[in-house]
Amino acid sequence: MIESISNLWSIPLLVIIPMLTAIIVNFLYDKAIKPIAISSAIVILIISIISPYGYHWFCGHPALNPETLTFTFNPNIFGYKLSLEFIFGPLQHIMIFISSLILLFCVILSTIGLTKHQGPYIALLFLLFMSSAIVIMVNDLYHLWIAVEIGSLIVVGVAAASGTSISHKAALKYGLFSAISGAGLAVSLALILGLTGFANISDAIMYLKQFNIGEMSTVLYIAFGFFVLSWMYAGGLAPIHPLKSEVYGASYPHATTLLQAQSKLMLVAIGIIMLRLFGMLPFVKEVMIFLSVITMMIGVIMALIQIDFRWIIAYLIISHSGFVTLGIGLGTYEGLIGGIFQAVNDIIYMTILLLCCEALFYFGGKTSTKEAYGIAKKSPFIATATILGAIAASGIPPFNGFQSEIILIQACLKEGFPEIAVLILMVSVTTFIALLRGIYRIFLKPPELQSYDDSNVDLPKVLIIGIIIFIVLSIIIGIYPDIVLRFIIPVVKEVLSI
Amino acid sequence: MIEVTIQLLGFIAAAILIVVGIGGMLFLDNLIKKIIAFTLLSDGVNLLLVALAYREGGIVPILLPGMSISDFTSRAILVFPAGIVLTNIVIGVSTTAILVALVIMLYRRYGTLKASVILKGERR
Amino acid sequence: MIELSSSFMITAYVMLIAITIGAIAALLQKDLLRAAFISGAESIALAFFFQALLAPDLGLTQAIVGTVLLPGIIILGIFKTRRTEEE
Repeated sequence: MIESISNLWSIPLLVIIPMLTAIIVNFLYDKAIKPIAISSAIVILIISIISPYGYHWFCGHPALNPETLTFTFNPNIFGYKLSLEFIFGPLQHIMIFISSLILLFCVILSTIGLTKHQGPYIALLFLLFMSSAIVIMVNDLYHLWIAVEIGSLIVVGVAAASGTSISHKAALKYGLFSAISGAGLAVSLALILGLTGFANISDAIMYLKQFNIGEMSTVLYIAFGFFVLSWMYAGGLAPIHPLKSEVYGASYPHATTLLQAQSKLMLVAIGIIMLRLFGMLPFVKEVMIFLSVITMMIGVIMALIQIDFRWIIAYLIISHSGFVTLGIGLGTYEGLIGGIFQAVNDIIYMTILLLCCEALFYFGGKTSTKEAYGIAKKSPFIATATILGAIAASGIPPFNGFQSEIILIQACLKEGFPEIAVLILMVSVTTFIALLRGIYRIFLKPPELQSYDDSNVDLPKVLIIGIIIFIVLSIIIGIYPDIVLRFIIPVVKEVLSI
Repeated sequence: MIEVTIQLLGFIAAAILIVVGIGGMLFLDNLIKKIIAFTLLSDGVNLLLVALAYREGGIVPILLPGMSISDFTSRAILVFPAGIVLTNIVIGVSTTAILVALVIMLYRRYGTLKASVILKGERR
Repeated sequence: MIELSSSFMITAYVMLIAITIGAIAALLQKDLLRAAFISGAESIALAFFFQALLAPDLGLTQAIVGTVLLPGIIILGIFKTRRTEEE
């Protein structure tokens, strides 16, 4: 019986179209940049919606199991298979759809907002999307490492592009640290390759299950340590959270929408890979849960003491990444569903808040609570949208944040961590307080008479449409969570069945 | 007594480079020195990967005319780490270039290369 | 006549010492230009080590990139900033 295997057409396109666009827009004349960038973002969005599920193999080959005549990854059949592999499945479908939707708005807003150096900046945005698409699709350590390295270099570039001295400093710090932990990820790739002989993650797991590695598990622990390091810096987890939160706060808000989507995707992808590779070792899940708990606490406390609305949101993004990693670290059925679902919801409601923050730039560019006031009188729409975003972020029922947090709380109670369940509730309430502080000062506080200018500001229509789309998405997911859950549940079952 | 092989010497050299590189990046104050330390770190990782692929009594993985395939596959060293090392060299160059560009921009603003002055926290 | 593998062994010993000295010496220089050149010399030693480890293609790449491109970028940065390290 001969089965034919063909590579899926959409996976190379999802990687190559952003790359080609990034190369082309560098050389284009100013007026030609906008149509080409927007049309290629629309093409990516359409591909991510209509693509079927499948695989892409770069080299090596799937081994045929002689008993069941299906394609499996049995390490006994071939000595060394390379099998660099990309997967497009349900998880990839929902994640890439949302990040390409964000990419579309991000590109349009940057063509409106920036006056010079548009080409290289849009190239960076497309490469940022590409790195997040790769990292969620990979099933081998080699491409995982490349995606994390490229992703962190692009984050450095996007942060530096906003041009202030704070952003240059944040970019330099992030760059220096990403150099260390990128090298660490390469070392852990080398260790797992040396231990098992496979770069493909499924093959490596199969090898670790079948053969007793005995006292070599020390090597696995060292590899796990380097993995945790790269997880922390790619997603911005607690002990080194200032690196990532400075990047969020210092870059343009519309770029931060894509940055936070990328780091949530990195957290989910690397977290699931860590759970699959090292989940059977003792203390691994405990380390992951500990990191997420301190991330949640430190992020939300730092958000309370900020005075700038951008920095409040930056630290809240850090704090809410802790929810995602908590769910993955629990490693149970409900925990994984809650973690991945929280990643999707988090991307959506943080995008609402960041787009509202971008709107503040059109009212004079002041986002500090000491300088901006009375915006609600100028634009009631933005004020309403920000309040709705704050409600969604703090997990109040008709919105999507509630659905995933309730799953996470149930997972914590089931695993016997009632303290963490209480902590989730406290973080949600504190999120609302931190946001409301900023919202009251910026939008609702009456303006001082002498400094109030009555000039009318025209917001770009794309910004308003984007905010409305994401609010509608948030409400729809909040009422019918099955729309997203039916993508997540098969993936979780697959991860837990290994 | 462990037998000294080329592979062992490679691992020792890689460990020295990695330790010196990370130590330099963490403890040196000058930003250009930090970047030089990063190139050392990246060299160390490359050497680790190449030493991992080495096989005692192996041959260079080039199939010359007249070699039997089975002999070649049983003796040739692993080729996969070579691909990783090539990628790592390229990534190292691009990371160095980006870091140097950022250092030049920060030097224009602050007039110093000291990390303790430039990367100090600032009120915002 | 020396056998090939033992000549590789001697190369590896010499290059191990050269790499160690080069890496530490590069970071101890006060003159940044000299540090960049020494790191280039360390790269040449690393290229010979790759040769001894049966990876001649990587040796060639490392020799070109490590001795010309990387020190070139760093020297460019030094010329745009300053040559000596501050106290």
